[in-house]
Amino acid sequence: MLKGFPTISKEEQTRITAVVVRVAAMLLEYGAESRLIEQLSSRLGVALGCTSIEISLIPSAIVLTTLIGDSSVTTTRRAHEQPINMSIVHQIVTICIAAEQNPRDIMMVERSLANIHANPYPAWLIVPMIGLSCAAFSHLQGADWPGFWITFLAASVGMIVRRALSSRNYSLLIVFAFTAFVCTLIASLSFYHGLSSTGRVVLSSSVLLLVPGFPYINSMLDAFKGYISMGWGRWTQATLLTLMSSLGIMLAMGFLDIKGW
Amino acid sequence: MAWFSLLLNALWAAIPAVGFGMIFNVPRSTLPLCAVGGAVTYGIRDTLLHNHFSIELSTFIAATAIGIIGVFWSRRYVMPRPVYTVPSIIPMIPGTYAYEMMISLVTMNTVGVTDALLSSFIENGLHAVSILFAIAFGLVLPSMYYTKRKQPII
Repeated sequence: MLKGFPTISKEEQTRITAVVVRVAAMLLEYGAESRLIEQLSSRLGVALGCTSIEISLIPSAIVLTTLIGDSSVTTTRRAHEQPINMSIVHQIVTICIAAEQNPRDIMMVERSLANIHANPYPAWLIVPMIGLSCAAFSHLQGADWPGFWITFLAASVGMIVRRALSSRNYSLLIVFAFTAFVCTLIASLSFYHGLSSTGRVVLSSSVLLLVPGFPYINSMLDAFKGYISMGWGRWTQATLLTLMSSLGIMLAMGFLDIKGW
Repeated sequence: MAWFSLLLNALWAAIPAVGFGMIFNVPRSTLPLCAVGGAVTYGIRDTLLHNHFSIELSTFIAATAIGIIGVFWSRRYVMPRPVYTVPSIIPMIPGTYAYEMMISLVTMNTVGVTDALLSSFIENGLHAVSILFAIAFGLVLPSMYYTKRKQPII
């Protein structure tokens, strides 16, 4: 045992390990970058009395070992796919900083972890806001005002579809493909009797709510900081999501060529 | 009146930054800074484009700028940096280029390959990929500098 530290029994060490791996798994699920996961879990582990924390990350799971003196406990957790939630990541950061200021207080950490809330934005706020975002994109790309409002409509309906499908726990890939399909169908209204003269801009802006921004940026950040396998995993995920959205767009276009507006 | 239209475009770009912040579920208190970040980033890029820089270079400089600003904001408000940086770069996403690339690919498949379609595919694809990489490099650079130090940023 380390000098100056009261001894920690195996049971206590197992409990510490469970808390630390839970934090790491939540960070992975809700879209934190790998360096943040590794830093936060080792800081939390040291604050709870461990000598050091060793962690191994792959995109779908975490292997974590706590070392206290000579005794080590290792555990594995599967990370399930969750929507990106920066609010939860922020709350975990706050908990870890609080744990560093009150070392060895595992009760406090467990209590705050149980109190983490997802903090979702209400539908009446997020749906028009996303519609407006995509409409702003179309405006920046030079669409005319009818095109602006068609984009607003298409993106808002797309966001409703996306939320409805996500809440029914469909795979993210299916959600993206179907949302892109619906968005493109509505956006192609702009070709109806020449309603808007900038149809291509409308079509391309109305699917921008499906840009997988976080997976792309995280994959780059991970790969540059030495987590090559995590970078590849996230890159693959982002590329698959993009491909599925294009599949939805192509399906809608093929459908419209047959039927025509 | 060039500066006025640049300013107006920057204000328009603040809307997607806030909207995407909501998709990523950032904490409510950070939404105003996301809006500022989006406006600043797009404003920098637009100003550089107006001064005849290439679109990749201006995107890179704008992304680096928001990366550096994000370090200060994240220290001050104890927030992971991507909360600010990722929504802010969203207005620069090369959506139209990627879309045009896909359309020319599909058209080539249905009506056959022509020189015009092929050049449109390659040009738009190169633009989309290089802008995407410019954004990513720009965001990574500041944090690469700070990872030299052992002290974590937050």
